[in-house]
Amino acid sequence: MNRYFLYLVLLNMIVNVIIFVPKILIEYRYNGAVMGVLIAIPIGIALNYFYSTAINRFPEQGLPEISANSKHRWLKIIHFGSIQLIWFSAGLITLVGFIDILVRFINPEMPKLALLVIYLAAIFLIIQLPTQRVVYFMEIVLFFNTPLIAFIIFKAFANDYLSWDSMLEVGTHIFERPSIKSIAAATYCFSGYSNLIIFNRVINGKLKVLNFIAIFIFGVFNLFTTFFIPIGFHGSDGANEYLYPWISTADSLRLVYSPIERVIFLFLMFYMSITLISVSVHWHVAYELIKGTFKEKVSKKQNLLILSIFSGASIAGVIFLNTLLLNKVTVYWMIVRLGFEIVLVAIFFIWARRRSV
Amino acid sequence: MPSNNVQTIRDHLLNMLQQPEDMVFKENHSKEKYMEALYIKSICDEAILHDNILKPFFEITGPEEFLNFLQSNPKVSEYEDEQKALEELLRGVAILFYQDFVFLFDCKMDRNNAVMDTTVETTIQGPQAGFSESLPVNLGLIRQRYPSTALMVESSTVGNLSKTRVMILHDTRFTDPDTLKRIKKFLANVDIDMFQSGEQLFDSLRKSNKALFPLMLVTERPDRVAVNLSMGKVILLIHGSSFAVILPTVMKDLMASMEDIYQAYWITKFLKVLRYTAFNVSLILPGLYVAVTSYNPEIFRIQLALSIAGSRTAIPYPSYIEVVLMLFMVELLTEASIRLPKAVGPTATTVGGLILGQAAAEAGLVSNIMIVIVSFVAISNFVVPINAFSFTIRVLKYFVLLISSLFGLVGVVLGFFLVLAYMVKLDSFGEPFLTLVQSKPGENSNK
Repeated sequence: MNRYFLYLVLLNMIVNVIIFVPKILIEYRYNGAVMGVLIAIPIGIALNYFYSTAINRFPEQGLPEISANSKHRWLKIIHFGSIQLIWFSAGLITLVGFIDILVRFINPEMPKLALLVIYLAAIFLIIQLPTQRVVYFMEIVLFFNTPLIAFIIFKAFANDYLSWDSMLEVGTHIFERPSIKSIAAATYCFSGYSNLIIFNRVINGKLKVLNFIAIFIFGVFNLFTTFFIPIGFHGSDGANEYLYPWISTADSLRLVYSPIERVIFLFLMFYMSITLISVSVHWHVAYELIKGTFKEKVSKKQNLLILSIFSGASIAGVIFLNTLLLNKVTVYWMIVRLGFEIVLVAIFFIWARRRSV
Repeated sequence: MPSNNVQTIRDHLLNMLQQPEDMVFKENHSKEKYMEALYIKSICDEAILHDNILKPFFEITGPEEFLNFLQSNPKVSEYEDEQKALEELLRGVAILFYQDFVFLFDCKMDRNNAVMDTTVETTIQGPQAGFSESLPVNLGLIRQRYPSTALMVESSTVGNLSKTRVMILHDTRFTDPDTLKRIKKFLANVDIDMFQSGEQLFDSLRKSNKALFPLMLVTERPDRVAVNLSMGKVILLIHGSSFAVILPTVMKDLMASMEDIYQAYWITKFLKVLRYTAFNVSLILPGLYVAVTSYNPEIFRIQLALSIAGSRTAIPYPSYIEVVLMLFMVELLTEASIRLPKAVGPTATTVGGLILGQAAAEAGLVSNIMIVIVSFVAISNFVVPINAFSFTIRVLKYFVLLISSLFGLVGVVLGFFLVLAYMVKLDSFGEPFLTLVQSKPGENSNK
């Protein structure tokens, strides 16, 4: 079992709370979200399987190295460019969403741009590290945070006020026609594999079936938790009232004997670092792909230019996207992402097969 | 009689030396033989010279036999060139001019060869003796603890002026050849005029020559050196320093005390957890205090929040000033107690720590909880076993404090992870700073 691969997938599963997945699922809970989740699981696993086995043919190589001697330069630029855009926007939505959450729940008096500054400083430090080191950092962050999230989930499941009846009520809508929006949102939980575009550099050895079984188990559990726990806490109708269902759910939990009584603070402190590493992983992929597009080594000036484009885009994002708009954009982004991912996996799978034959 | 060639060498050497007071140039005559000796008496052991050269000189009658005696003596080596002879002379080697030959006779005086007790890295149990300040004695101490044929000893010099002798020790079975190559390359490129102790290499390790983290371990314990040799580390012994340098060093080594292997398994585990907790506490706590009191008092349960706020009611300024004030005082105390003579040291800590702290709280300058936190931070800081690393933490907590004062709770978390990310970025001779596994030879294909 390759743990780095698992981390990448796990990271996306954990961070889906920030990127509106529960909100989208709960919004369509009576209109096909349940079926959507059920359909998303095989799609997600299949994409995982095909892409990872395809890129596994090139051990310790990222996409820039694999296509280093490609003759179709324009094709390469378009290919890399589109991937960069999707990955960068994934990080951007997470970042803008989380800064919105921070201002709402932790620092209501602080300007959003100030929070952006500290986040960008940390992210830029991390994305410029070698890929190996980014993975180390990811491992450390997950090491610090996993016990905490496990504890919170345990507390949620063990809570007296969790209404299983509400969950069952939503479960009865299983045979509704699935909506594409909920499928797209649910597959996001599985799409961590696609970071292998760059992170395949650190993966040596074959990925075993055990990996995919683990992803299946984690994925099912994760989707169930993401979708149903807020419904269990706030009722099948009430859950839709919240902009961030999971954060409100965390705020419904109480640790009676702990000095920090309200779980929301633990939850948000935990997500501060998870968001940091999640955005860094996505942007590291984008950053490395941009570096891979240039023929020569990137000079200091070009590097600065890339980083300033990154920060310019995020400043614009923070200024122009309010929560509702961001939510709407994310829904459509999810659909685009799913389509793009399927195309990407299909093309890469076929290309890798033809190349190795 | 010395031939022309030998005479020119002798005159040249004498010329170069500028006749210092402690230089000795002696001519020895016996019936058949004539010999000249040149040495500096303050760094030469004249007794050795007397026993090994002068006595035989008068006891052995035949000139040829004495030449044979000189050539077969292991302490005598042949003259190579003038530069080398001068360097050796300045280290306590006597130069002998005999017939057509020039010999170098090793009679260095070993002054600081007393083995000292450990004072910096103390343990309760286990070996208590440290290194001496003499290179051969130190090497002997290590060899006694590490009797292995695989122990490789090489020597080189560092320092533009001081030309300090440095010995590089490693176990050929365990050491990664790539790491060794990097270390040798680094040593060859060190640009220091006066090289006196291993600690001077701290700054040279970084490209910018400005280091915050110690990327090498400086130790006074031979047992630590022996254990590290067996783990594949490279050891530098520096002439005139009672500290050895262990390379490459990662955070795991900096958090390890020798006591870890002299204690029972679970006790060691407990102590390690304790140390890492102390590291985090010392790093985060001042920042967390500012974030919790000034940004998010609601994070704690109501009783605790009220008691913190209640303790701060009399304080006329924001919490970050309070923290900076107290931390500054503790830093002064720590510095003062290092500098002060041993007899006065405890007084300073008592006056500063107990009386001043109490009085500051009563005068309403700082809150009682602040006093608790500051002492907590200071004590946690000293739990870290390697002194150089505990100094690093002392500096780092101000960084976290600054970010938390600006950004609140977000600053605490991100400040901590920024420090972590920086540590992830660091490496010591190709070894990632936060690694848990030392790389072994032949494992380097994945780098």
